[in-house]
This record gives sequence, structure tokens and C-alpha cells, in this order.
Amino acid sequence: MPIENVILTTDNCRYCLMCRHVASVEHVTHREALSPHGIALVIASVQRGLLQWNADTVGVIYSAADNGNSRAHCVFDQPLPEAIAAVRAEIVAQKLAPAVVYDLDARFKEWGNPFKQQKPQPVAGRGEVALFVGDEAQYLWPATVTAALALLKAVGISPVLVGMGRSNGYLASSLGLPETARRLAQATLADLETSGVRRMLVLSPGDFFTFNQLYDERLGIDWPASVQLSELTTFLADCLEGGEIKFKKTTQRAPYAYIDPSHAVRLPARHAGPRRLLARVLPGPARELFWRCERAHPVGSTALQFTQPDIAEKLTLARLEDARQSGAQMLISDDPGTLKCLGDKASQFGLRVQGLYELLAEQLD
Amino acid sequence: MVTDQFLYEMIRSELAEIVGPEHVSTEETDKLVYSTDWAWMPQMWLDRGQKLRTPDYIVHPGSAEEISEIMDIANKYRIPVVPWGGGSGTQGAALPIFGGILLDTKRMNQIIAIDEQSLTVTAQAGIIIEHLEWAVNEKGLMFPHYAASSNCATLGGALAPRGTGTISTKYGKAEDMLLSMQVVLPTGEIIRTPPVPQHAAGPDWFRLFLGSEGTLGVITEATMRLDYLPEARLLRAVLFDDLSKALEAGRLMMTHRLEPFVIRLYDHASTRTQVRKILGYDFSGAYVVIGFDGDPDIAALQEQKAMKICTDLGAIDLGREPGEKWWDHRYDFYYPPHSLKLPWMYGTTETVATFDKIERIYWAEKEAVEEGFADQGVQFIGHFSHWFHWGVMLYSRFIIEQPPQDAKEALRLHNRVWNAAMQSVIANGGMINEHHGVGLKLSRYMRKQYGPAWPLLLKLKKTFDPNGIMNPGKTGFGF
Repeated sequence: MPIENVILTTDNCRYCLMCRHVASVEHVTHREALSPHGIALVIASVQRGLLQWNADTVGVIYSAADNGNSRAHCVFDQPLPEAIAAVRAEIVAQKLAPAVVYDLDARFKEWGNPFKQQKPQPVAGRGEVALFVGDEAQYLWPATVTAALALLKAVGISPVLVGMGRSNGYLASSLGLPETARRLAQATLADLETSGVRRMLVLSPGDFFTFNQLYDERLGIDWPASVQLSELTTFLADCLEGGEIKFKKTTQRAPYAYIDPSHAVRLPARHAGPRRLLARVLPGPARELFWRCERAHPVGSTALQFTQPDIAEKLTLARLEDARQSGAQMLISDDPGTLKCLGDKASQFGLRVQGLYELLAEQLD
Repeated sequence: MVTDQFLYEMIRSELAEIVGPEHVSTEETDKLVYSTDWAWMPQMWLDRGQKLRTPDYIVHPGSAEEISEIMDIANKYRIPVVPWGGGSGTQGAALPIFGGILLDTKRMNQIIAIDEQSLTVTAQAGIIIEHLEWAVNEKGLMFPHYAASSNCATLGGALAPRGTGTISTKYGKAEDMLLSMQVVLPTGEIIRTPPVPQHAAGPDWFRLFLGSEGTLGVITEATMRLDYLPEARLLRAVLFDDLSKALEAGRLMMTHRLEPFVIRLYDHASTRTQVRKILGYDFSGAYVVIGFDGDPDIAALQEQKAMKICTDLGAIDLGREPGEKWWDHRYDFYYPPHSLKLPWMYGTTETVATFDKIERIYWAEKEAVEEGFADQGVQFIGHFSHWFHWGVMLYSRFIIEQPPQDAKEALRLHNRVWNAAMQSVIANGGMINEHHGVGLKLSRYMRKQYGPAWPLLLKLKKTFDPNGIMNPGKTGFGF
């Protein structure tokens, strides 16, 4: 984002408090400086010489969740997350970012992901449909991929796997590393070209947002017009509706809740899909979290897990507490990063975490 | 302001001992962000690169007991305590103009009980109003304080300045929904007001805290009245050529107790500018949105009678769409870039008066502002939106699109416009404010507003707060 647009956005947001009700980080820290307007005011104050970039101010800038809640609830669609990413890039260029950001940059450059010292796997084969695996599904919750393949096989699709072990570029972009993000994005696009696909299915709303919006808005990269992008949950819900896929009911009777994953608020049309699928396979009563659908808060799966792990943990714990209060005993989600965060802490709340795709694959009829 | 570093650290340690170190901040970012609320004056000051007085400590208490202990510290060291809810006040009531302890109440955000029999909710005062609304909505209920700031303001922040919401014409001001509350006094006592507001057990003393804006104590918990979510909400708009006739239509609806939940009467200038910009309508005249809710049959009958009043007075019925569109977009007026925003100068000089005076106040204020500041290219706009059986609120605003660049000069001009507006309001029998409160901005008019009664309020303040620690410089009280 050019600097004039950053100024325009932060000047619009610095004194606007209208998205506080969905401001996830402020909700768990209670710090006004970590609200969307607080972060915008800090940026505007640096621009006016009232503050300087230092550990305090940079810490604030790296405390934004970049989950889309502020923008999703802005009547005039102020691109504050994009402005914050641009400011982070400026901080990185000035060598003032937290050390972990430079460490992650090196990891992205070497391994294409922040989780494992392993190179991404090349695309094998060509086809009509691709499934984007990415790094989180590959390294954090690999059962997702196996289950997704089984589900697609049931509707007669054998997808080409792309981006295996490679980040989609969101994390690098969010950290203020746009050049690194561009390289990761270009690699994904090269995979698509190699595979010749016409459609790409993704496992999470975060992937969908990245390919559908972030590439264009933050990185200036056009998504290929010849490749249709779909979220797998939406695709499966449509298949269910059309009678192309069938599930049998499980025997489990425990109350359950679907956890809208990080970035779900960025796709307002997607909330019904996973719930429809779950209602088909689970006889137990569905519970709803207070922070759900269009007001869903993220878990700590965004860049916060690296730059502000304390805040990331608070976000995850808040979602689990919300789930506990709903009376649910089993939590179900689809995004691998969300599942990993929830899975690591769920036992503290007496809760069980289950991947949506695995559950559906087990119940294929 | 605590200037001695040794003492500064000592007080910080004491505060941390009470609330936990993670709930005390002295970071520069926090100090700057908490140095301004939503008032134009401090925002302009920062916008022009000028520093404001900041709090010394930002504290996030978790209970009334913790606040009580904080009061002990503030009294011991004679340092100010400034309560903070959402920071969405427009009057500068939350500005830490003498430094001290800024008490952010948002950590106290729990709902304690929802009583579905009596239709009440008891919640901590730091809860965001919209969160409270969402919670009661899940039980088919609503908290009918639909303020434009509901997304960001707290329950305590609605009560402390005597706030009003969009549907107040039927459901009342925030204070009308209040049954009882818990308050921490400046001297540290934690008290509860009577469990119900209507009784005959002596004077109505609990109302002292309403409108005190943190100068007489900190509201920490409140029990509020709820209503059922309405089965129907009927909205419609009409257009009047003549503002007087539009006001008369509103008066007749209220005095005949038709119970509209909203009558939003935009003057010609607002219709031409704000309504066109936000809603896209090119109306010429006074655009009025009228709404009825509740039982569908009763609401329909009320609407039918209201429309007869309007058409008898010469209004054009615009139909449902312009009423429903306003309802759906009623808060869009407050989002940038369409809200009033810097670098413009602006102020909401809202007032309230009886029906016999309100139109006179409108024209007097308009004349005082437009003629007094014609050389500044001032615009004066207004709407009438909170109606009572006896009168109505005028939400008047001035706008200067090219104010002086120099911060001091801009502030002086701003205060001169306010003086002109408020003098015309007081001279014509209006109140200096209906729902935004007094804060710092209107403090200087309190003596004039209350005349011989003002010393009584000063004595009450001294009794409640002998060391003058609570939010000094606000609502007319000094330090």
C-alpha cells in the first residue's frame, strides 16, 4: 500500500471507535492502544513526530491480529489491516522490527515455511482440480489432507496437490515482509501453471482470503482468471445439497460446537456451510459460541504466535472459554492452524478437538 | 502529575500490588492513546502535532474492591483518578488534564445475571453496550439503549453522562432504564443504590451519580431494564416544507402518546447535506423518519394515526423505503470518511427544551453561529431526535471546513463558536446539553446554567470527594 493510502487510512481510523465491539486483541488485553483505533493513532502520532519507532511503539504495531475483524465491520471498508502490514514493512526496512521477524524471513526464504526445516514438495502431475495444502496442513494438522482427499474421492475428484509444505504468503505479508510474500505467491502460481488446473480448492478461509484478496491488495499480484477458487467446506456443502455426497450419522451424543476459524469473518458467506455439514453427521445438540460467525474472534494462529505469543495464547484461551461456557464438549473446526492452537490447550478446559474434514471422511456413506 | 521519579515508582508498585503488574501501564503508547477521548479539542491538538497532558498510570481494575483500594492510594498521595469507559465521549470528560491514575473499566465486563421474569440485566459497568445487547438478544430481549456509540461505549459510559440512544423516544434515556447500581465513592466506600428506582423511601439520591461523569464516584455495576425484542418495526419517512409544521407533527405524536420509537427530524440543511451524503436522497425540505414497534397490529394503528397528523400538516408521505434505509444505515453517519472529521472544525451543540421554546432556540442558535462566524464559512445543521411528552432535543452542529491551522488559534475559534451557541441556548431557556454530558468542554457554563443552585452542587462535591481527586476539571468542578 502506498504511503499516502496508509496515511489516509490511519487518519480515518485513528479517531473512529466503531469496530471496538469486534476488536479481538483489545478484548483480551483491555489495552486501548491495541485496539484498531489505538494502533492507527500510534501510527498517526509517529507520522506527526509525537512518538518514535521504538520497542514500545513497534510492539503495538506487531500486536494487531490481522484477522480482518476491523475491516469486516467497517461500513466504509477501511483497509486498516493492509495499512498496518505496510507500516510493518517500513519498520522492517528500517531494521526496527522484532528479531523474530528477521528470523522468520530467513526461514521463509530457505524453507518456504516457519514450522519445519524442510523444502516444499514439488507439484506432481496435472489435472483439472488442485488442492492447496500449504504449510499448516502439512506440518501442524496433516490428517486434514488425508481426510480432504478421501472426501474429494467420494465425489470423483483426484486433485493435484499444490503448495505442499509452503506458506501461502499471508504470514510473510502480515509480518511486513512483502517481497518474501511475493516470492511465496509466485511459487504457488507457478505450481498452478505446472499443474494446468482450472479450479483450486483450499482448506481454510485464511487460504481463500490470501489468494482471493491479499495477493491483489497487498502484493499487487493478480490471481489467474482461468483458475476458480473455492473453499472446501463450501464445495462440500454444495455437494451435500446436490446429493453428490452422502454421510451417515455418528453415534456420538456429546454437545458440540463449530469454531469459526481465524479469518472466517473475512468471508461472510461461508458461515452456514460447515454448520450444514455438521448437522448432517452429528446427532448431538449443536451449540454456538458467543463469538461466532461474523463476530468470530481468531485463535492465536496468526503472526501473533511469533511476535506476541502471550496475546496469541490469550486469544486461544478466550475461544476455549467461550466454547466451555456454551456447554459444548467437542469442538470442531476446519482450519489446520486453528485446530493446532485449540488442540494444544483444549484439555485444560475439559474439551476435545476434532477436525471437520476427518469427521466427515469417517462418516462417508 | 507525579514528577518525582522515586514517588512515581512507589505509586506504580502500590497500584501493581492491587491489580497485578500486567494491569498497570506506563508505556508511552498507552499514555498517548489515553490522552484523548472523542472530543474535537484534544483530537485537533494531537492532529496538529501538539502533545497533551497524559495520565501517569493506566490501570485496569478487575473489581469494585480493587477500585476502592486505588481510591485509598489516590487520596493518600492526592493524585487524580479519571474513570474511563470507551473513550467515546465528545465533551472531554475522560481527559486526564491533571495527569494521575486513568482507570480503564473495560476489564470489568461480565454479565452477572439476566432476569427473564423481571426483564432486567445486571452487568459490570465496563461491558461494551453492543456485547450486552448481543447477550440479551439470545434470550429474545433487547437493551433498548441504541446509542450511536454502542459499538464502543460501555454501560458505565452510558450512565455517567446521562446518555440517550436512537430509540429513546419510546424507551427512554439510559438513566430511565436504570434500576440500581453499585458505586465506589471517592473515599473508597462501595455502596449500592436501592434495588428499585421508584419508591418513597426518602430522596432520590442515587440520581446524583447520573451526570456526575466520574466526579462523584465510579459506577462499577448496574441493573438495567430490558424489553422484548419487538415483533414488528415499522419505519416510514415524510417530507415537510416547513420546519415549524414538522415540529408540530412531532409534538402532536408525543402529546397524544402515540409512542413512536423514533422521530428523526432533519432540518433543511441536514437533509441537503448529511442525508444526501449518507443515504443518497436528493430531498428538498425537512426529512422526517418515524418508527413504531412492538405488536404489529398496534404499531400499524399508531403509524396510521401518526401519518394522518403529518399529512394534515402538509407532509408528503415518502413511503417505507426511505425510513427503512435510514434505520439500516443510522450509524453510518458516524463512520469516517463520511462522519465529521479533522481537519474540519465541528461541534455538536445539542440542547433540550420544552416544545414552546425549542424552535426559538433553533433559530437563535442558528443565527448566533451563522452570523457570528460567517467569515469562517461556518455551516449550521441540526436534527430533532429525542422526543419527550413535554419537548424535544435539538442536535445542532456547526462545521468549519477550513479552520486555522495553528492549534491555539483553532482552539480559540472553536471555543468562541461554542460560547455563541451556548449563550443563545441559555438565553432562550434551553439546557446546555441533553445527552453528551458536560465534560471539560461545557464546564464553564455550569455556573450560568444553574445560577444560585450551583454552590449547592459544589458543596455536594466537597462532601463526596473531600480531596478533590475524582476527575478534576469536569462538570464545572475544579481541582
